[in-house]
Parts: sequence; C-alpha cells; structure tokens
Amino acid sequence: MNLTVNGVESTIESGPLTSLLDVLRDELGVTSPKAGCEQGGCGACTVIVDGEPRRSCLTPVASVDGASVTTVEGLGSPEDMAPIQQAFTHHYAAQCGFCTSGMMMAAQAYIDRGGSDDPEAIQEALGGHVCRCTGYVKIIDAVGAAARGDSFDMTVTAAGTAMTNLGGVV
Amino acid sequence: MKAVGARVPRYDGVAHVTGHTQFVDDLRIPGALTVKAYRSPVHNARLTNLDTSRAEAMKGVHVITWKDVPLLEYGHLSALGIPADEPLLAKDEVRYLGQPIAIVAAPTEEAAMAAVDVITADFEELPALFDVRKAFDAGAPQIHVEGNWYRHFENEMDRRQIRKGNVEEAFDQADLIVQGVYRPAAIEHAPIETQVCQVVPEANGRLTIYSCTQALYFSMGVVAAHLQLPLNKLKVVGGTVGGGFGGKVDTATETMCALLAQKSGKPVRWRWTREEEFLCSSTRAPWHMEIADAVTKDGWILGRKMLTLHDSGAYSRFSPYGLTKHSFHHTGAYSIPNLEFDGYVVYTNRTPTTAMRGFGVTSVSFATETHMSRIALELGIDPYELRLKNANRIGDTSPNQIVYTDPSTVPTILAIADAVGHELTPEYRAMTPGQRTGDLLPEHLVGQLADPEAH
Amino acid sequence: MASEVLVPSSPAEAVELFGDGAGTTVVGGGTVVVPEMSYGRLHPARVLLLTRAGLAGITTAGTTVTIGATTSVGALIELEGHVAALAACARNVADYEVRGQATVGGNLCGHGDLQGCLLALDATARSTGAGGVRTEPLEEFLANRGGRLLLDVTFELPAASAFVVLDYPHTHEYTVLAVTGVRTAGGDTRLAATGVAGAGARLRSAEALASDPDAAAAAAASDVTFVDDALASAWYREQTLPVLVRRVLNQLEESA
Repeated sequence: MNLTVNGVESTIESGPLTSLLDVLRDELGVTSPKAGCEQGGCGACTVIVDGEPRRSCLTPVASVDGASVTTVEGLGSPEDMAPIQQAFTHHYAAQCGFCTSGMMMAAQAYIDRGGSDDPEAIQEALGGHVCRCTGYVKIIDAVGAAARGDSFDMTVTAAGTAMTNLGGVV
Repeated sequence: MKAVGARVPRYDGVAHVTGHTQFVDDLRIPGALTVKAYRSPVHNARLTNLDTSRAEAMKGVHVITWKDVPLLEYGHLSALGIPADEPLLAKDEVRYLGQPIAIVAAPTEEAAMAAVDVITADFEELPALFDVRKAFDAGAPQIHVEGNWYRHFENEMDRRQIRKGNVEEAFDQADLIVQGVYRPAAIEHAPIETQVCQVVPEANGRLTIYSCTQALYFSMGVVAAHLQLPLNKLKVVGGTVGGGFGGKVDTATETMCALLAQKSGKPVRWRWTREEEFLCSSTRAPWHMEIADAVTKDGWILGRKMLTLHDSGAYSRFSPYGLTKHSFHHTGAYSIPNLEFDGYVVYTNRTPTTAMRGFGVTSVSFATETHMSRIALELGIDPYELRLKNANRIGDTSPNQIVYTDPSTVPTILAIADAVGHELTPEYRAMTPGQRTGDLLPEHLVGQLADPEAH
Repeated sequence: MASEVLVPSSPAEAVELFGDGAGTTVVGGGTVVVPEMSYGRLHPARVLLLTRAGLAGITTAGTTVTIGATTSVGALIELEGHVAALAACARNVADYEVRGQATVGGNLCGHGDLQGCLLALDATARSTGAGGVRTEPLEEFLANRGGRLLLDVTFELPAASAFVVLDYPHTHEYTVLAVTGVRTAGGDTRLAATGVAGAGARLRSAEALASDPDAAAAAAASDVTFVDDALASAWYREQTLPVLVRRVLNQLEESA
C-alpha cells in the first residue's frame, strides 16, 4: 500500500486494517492527528484525504491505498503559516491545543469547498468536533476570519468576538 | 508588567497550530511496550485467587500486581494529614468497578489486550452502596475499613463542623424558614487527551517519566513514595497537558508505568482509551446539600443550618480537602452570622472522586445562589435586592471568621443588573462594598464584624 | 493473528468473495468495524473491504432511483431536490466527516438511521448470500439480513416527502425517534418510524388514517414497540411519536 502524506509518498508496512490514525502516528511519525476517542466521536483525528475531511481513527488504511493525505504539518510551518493557522493563533482559538489539529483540518476543508463566515454554517461543518477548553466561540471566530480572507496581526490577539447571538448558538 | 491588560498571543500558540506541540503520546520512543490494565468488573467484592501466570508466560509480557509495589498504600494528601487508604493495585478487595488489579506491558497493543484477557480472579460480590444518604443507615454495606465516612479531620472529628453565633436563636427569631436540597451530579472532565504516560528506565538507574499530570512535583512525590525511591532517582517531564480541569492530578498512571519500566527494563507507554476515561477515571464528586435558612420578611438572612454529604467514591484521595474548602465558603458571597454546618466525606462504591475546577466550592456556590433565589421567591422580594443587602462587605466575616477586606459581591451584582437591564431603586443602585452602617447594619450582623485593618 | 483482507474490485467479485457470508466481516466505510477492532472487541478472521467494489453511486432511470450499498450517507444529500426526506434524514446522521465515510448499507444494516426513511419510500433491497442474489422489499431484507450482503436499494421517486426527527443537542446521537412521510406519485401516503424497537417500522395503521392527522397520530403507536435505551425511554418515545406523525402529515399537506 502507498500513501502520499503532505506531498511525501511512502510505502505502508502496517496491516491493511490498521487505522489511518495509527499509520500516520506510529508508522510515519506524523503526530498532529490525535487519538481522542478512537470512535469517530471527537474529531481530534481528522485529516484531509483526497480533498475531503475524514476521521483517520475510523479509516482502515487499505481503504485509502494510493490516496493523498494532508495533515496540519502540510498546511504550513511556523515560518510560513497558512491563513487558518494564523487565524487560530490570532483569535486565540487554541488553549490546550489537543483538538486544534482536527478543528483546523475540518475548517480548511470547509473553506476549500467554499464555506463562508456564517457562524451557523461553520458550526454545521465542525459539528462533530469537541473542544473541552475554549467554549468554541473563538474557534468559530477564527474559521470565519479565515473564510473571509482576513489578514492577521500575529503580535496581538483579537479582542472580543464576532458572534452576536451567543444565546442561540451553543 | 507589560502583559497585564495586553492581548498577548499564547507562547505555545504557534506550536499548537503547526503540529509542533509534543503531547506525551506524540513522543515516539523506540521499543516502548504498550500497557493495559486488568480491572475489577464489579462494584464491591472480596478478591481472591488472582492468577496472572498465563499472562506472564506470554512472550515479552510483564505483569505487576500489589505484590510488586514497595509501598502499596500512599495517601495523596498525607502531607495534609489525610491518611493513606487506597492500594495502588487491589489486594484483598475491590471497591469500585474499574479498579486496577493487575497492569501488563507487552510488545504490541494486541498482545497487551490478549494478556489482560488471560488474567483471572475470583470475586465474591458484596452489596454495593451508591447513595450517600444511605451510608449512615444501620444496615448499610460497610465500604471502607473505617466505616462509611472519613474520620480524620482535626482532633479526629468525623465531620467538618462550623459553628458561629447562635443559630437556634436566629431560627426562633425568623419570620420564615426556607429549605432546599441540592444534589449536583458527578461530572466527567472528559479532556480530549486521555490519561497518558511514558516511562523510560535510564542507563544510570533513574526513571524518566513523561506525564500529562497537572501536578508534576506532586506526582513525582507520589511515585517516589510508592516505589520507595529517593526523588533524585526520578526525572519527570511534563507541562504539556491536553486538557485536565482537575482530572489529571491523581497520578493515575505514572506509578504503575514506573514499576513496569523497572520490571521490564524497557520503556513503557500507557494511553487510556476513551472508555477507560469515562468508566475508570476520577470525576468531580456528586454532592448532597441540605440548607435551611432563617429569614426575616424584609429579606435578612439571620442564620443557616446546612448538611453536606460529599461523595468521595471508594477512597479518600482529595475529598477531605475539598470538603474543607466547601465548608469555609458555605455562605457564598453573603454574610450570614449564625451558622451550623456539618459536612461529611462519605464513601460509596463509585470511582474515587477528585478535583475539578473550583473543587469543593462550585457545589456550594450553586446551592447558595439557588437558595437565595428560592428565598427571594418565597418572600416576594427582588432577587437582586435580597443579594445586595446580605452581600459580603468590608469588615464582615466568613464562616470561619476570616474578615473580608475587599469583597467584590456588591459591584458584581450591580454590574450584572446593568448588563441584563434590571432596574434597581436608587437606594440599591448606590450600594458599595464599604463597611456596614445604618440600615445596612441590623442588630444581628453586629456580632460578626471584625476589623479589616487587623487582617 | 492477522485478518485475511479481501478487496474486491467489482460488484461481481464482491458477490463471489462474499459467498454465503460465513465467517466474513464486511467493512464498508469502517465507521462501525474499525472502532471495535481498536478496542480489541473484534478480531475478524476474514474481512471483505468494499471500498473499491464499485457498489457506490446513485443512478436514476426515469422515476426509479437506485442507491449502491457503499454510497456514502453524505451523498444522499444530493437528492435534496427530489427526495427531501432522504436528504434531511441523511443530514441528521452524525457530522460531515462521518457522513462522508459511512455507507448506506452499513447504516441500514447497523445503527439504522436510514431505515425508516427508506421503508417509507417502499424501497426494495438487492442482496447476495446463500442462494445467490435476490431482490425483496427492504422490510423483509431487514428482518432476514443475517448472512446477506446488501448490494443496492431501489425506490420510485415520490411526489412529496417529509422527515421530522426529535432534535438532540449532540451531533453524534443515533436517531432517538424520527418519522418519514411519503406521498407517492399515485397519491398514496406512507409513513415509517425509526428509533422504535428493532428495525425501522412502517406505520400502516396511521397510513390508513392519513387524511386525519390527529387520528393517524393516535393510531401510530399500535404499529410499533417502544424501547428504553441510553438516549430516551420508551415512555418518552410514546409521547412524542404522535407529535412527529402529525407534523409529517401536516408538512406533506403543505407541499401538496
């Protein structure tokens, strides 16, 4: 089996039913996707497979043989961050950081398929992602900002929130 | 102090968003064995005939039981006078479903699970206790060696007791007694990162422990005590926690991994599954609180009688400490001068409970605030006015006689009224946290005053 | 003890390799089987991985729609303009990522969120197993699906459809209770529920009274057995089923 991960092609030695999550983390040393539940219920393992966001903990690697996988490491580096990474930093959308990889990959895929900065649409897109730290508001702000194409001052964090109706949102 | 008031990005923010933050499980240690636990399948039982031989016979598998622990029982807070009562691994009995009995390390996850599957034991099930209210019944199952509630508060008292003023007189003088029972349920912290630990036995005889603990030095002490090792034999690497909220202070994995690293001579890694996290990890405690307040028609709270039953689960852990904080705060943000508080740390066959944000105090804040609303409803008084007149002020004292020098209750309630658009009369709008005088100093509050300067 | 993993590359090969299904674990999207393996509860000896079996896709021939068994649940949302209820039902399953991976077949034969909707559409199911390939009403397939591999489901486009579900705050809850209503091109009304005991159920007593939503709502309970589970009690489902039936019939009426 082969996988192209963040542009690098590798032959996969793991068994065909090994989860893509375990292949990425254990065999390939790509550790940004996290094992939050190994049941598809938290979103922390989300990666982009052939353009679509997928739960890597649910995916037997044989079913993505030959696919192209993108993880956080493939979005950008500290010196050259993708807009979604800048947005998450500027909008303080990460606290402990454990859900962050999955959130950003889902957000990137949402933006790639034309997602807008509408908070309800963002929530629908990221509805399967759980965060225990932030309360979600700043995550939604960050995704909206990236979707809008905002530019970000990385030396300071954003004030307040763009959301106007928090009562109905969460 | 340039950071105060500034909107400073997180120092680890860039690492979080670029996948560079290294959580414990992200550390790839070649040759690390995978750890799994054999756990009690029942709530309360005598444990006999534990047989790990089939697991030990498996290739590359190492097993530890209570026999491998140099000091089996070590109190998490023995430095605070809370005696040890919990074995690291179960010996003659199990007291909660999921209690660890034997821990295995194996070359693969599959092998570790297979090893756990061939461990056997006999469980003579006993009646289980889950309701703290029943713990005091004559015929209740005895959960703990010392009975069903903790008995080692100062002077070997079996409860946290606070007495202030003259509560019977207050109840005689009241126009109305308002009662309420409050029972917040357990809450699972559910951090997205489950409990995880890696331990490496170093060539120089030390153990390096990579831990998700929220309490690094504390956990180091616990490991050193159980293993009877001097602290300089341990190196604990931590500080990167994928959410804890109080649930990662129990040193739940480090000691067992350290023992397995010693026994096998190999690095070991233990990452809990989400199921273990839900079923076996400690939670915020459930509480049972009964409040009776003696109140006057015009909204003064003369006195409070309160009973708290704190569900500690099967062992003490931090519960006596949590209850102590709870007791000091049992009047909340309000000055109630006559008090009769009794709080018990009660044992049940639940997973032992632990800290969670606001440990011990969120329960009584919830109960007190709800009770204030109940009082306002029963008296037909504006709930803001009720709170404002009874609010802690400079010179008032807490249940345990600490004088308030700068309480923020009054400005906070005024700010809330502003934010929600609640109209207040000029008298209430003008209130401050300043020392009580005039109408704000009725007879019953005089005795509890103290000098804020003398603090 | 590694599993034997077979990856058929055509429907015919899938049928052949499945045989009578003995000792074979079928993996569609993996959303059900992979967690069971991760948790050490399943050690399948022989796995049939259907990712490349050519069983995915929605085809329409005139008014007849056929949905391949490994079509993703998410793909059903494309049918929004033609079968509103099926799109709404699909949208209610899990979240975007899981929907993109979970299969129609896996859901029908497993958690069953799609069952009620496809029963209301009076779908037929084509499956293989001992005795070979056969087609039967979905209701019969669901009752006798042991040892069968679902290949596709087929139904006639309705004139109108409606889907009403008990809204649950968490994205990943399985369907607590849902009702689908369909008005056929010929003017008949069909109703089915998901989240009752066992598989989804046609509400035939309610259908007979469809012109009177209140009477139909009251009659629906006699068509089903309610169940207690971790999500809701039988009692709660019994209280809410009539409400959902009434709403579905009202929505169908409005779309007339």
